[in-house]
Amino acid sequence: MHSDPHQWINEHGDYLYRYAMSRVHSEEIAADLLQETLLAAWKSHTTFAGQSTIRTWLTGILKHKIIDHIRKEIRERNLSDNVSSDPTTAYFNNDGSWSEAPHAWNENPESLCRNEQFNNVLEKCVSKLPEKQRLIFRLRDISGDDTETVCKSCGITATNLHVLLHRARLALRKCLEIHWFGVGENR
Amino acid sequence: MNHACKEISRLASESIERELSLWERFRFHLHMAVCKHCRNFEQAIELMHQAAALMHQSRYGEIKLTDSQRNRLHKAMDELN
Ligand SMILES: [Zn+2]
Repeated sequence: MHSDPHQWINEHGDYLYRYAMSRVHSEEIAADLLQETLLAAWKSHTTFAGQSTIRTWLTGILKHKIIDHIRKEIRERNLSDNVSSDPTTAYFNNDGSWSEAPHAWNENPESLCRNEQFNNVLEKCVSKLPEKQRLIFRLRDISGDDTETVCKSCGITATNLHVLLHRARLALRKCLEIHWFGVGENR
Repeated sequence: MNHACKEISRLASESIERELSLWERFRFHLHMAVCKHCRNFEQAIELMHQAAALMHQSRYGEIKLTDSQRNRLHKAMDELN
């Protein structure tokens, strides 16, 4: 039965809300996007071909709503790329070698990932990133959206996405090394 | 001596995003075999990538609509009919 929107809410509401929350990080916006999704789904439900599950179909609609929302946000807040200036040079000497060599992180990734304190430090480091890098890192590495979706959401090319993600990862690695692994900045 | 760490670290990051070309893979592995720093970098970004995905699970895996949000949605759907 795919034509009862109340059933959609009961069966898929939490899932869709979670999907939206993890990408827009606001209860209010996530709930609004969910409502818009249900309305749009109701308007077009007669065309639902039944080739996918209801959940997949609803998620597809929500995904587009989220992309529109993020694009609008980027436009309105005028978040810039600045792909032309290269902040990665700060991490390297002129001859291309590391200016501060990355240390070995001798911790078990599995247990580290489950360490709540580590996650807090990671989140803090993410919050210090420049706005657009933060947005992209969250969508790609935290929400796990694929490259194509992130590019669409942010209106950027794959090449720019790679550039910005690499910058984010350089900065995050350094931040974690200082604040989690305790390697002094001037060592 | 010219070091390739700047470029190789970029390839380490991009290898998470796309398949490297044959030439890139060749350069990458050749450098990795001799450079501990870049190996450390690669290990670190892999770990961050994993940790970020698991953080997503633990932060958002459990959240649910509140009752008032749920009621509001049901009400909005009622108004359609
Ligand atoms: Zn190197």
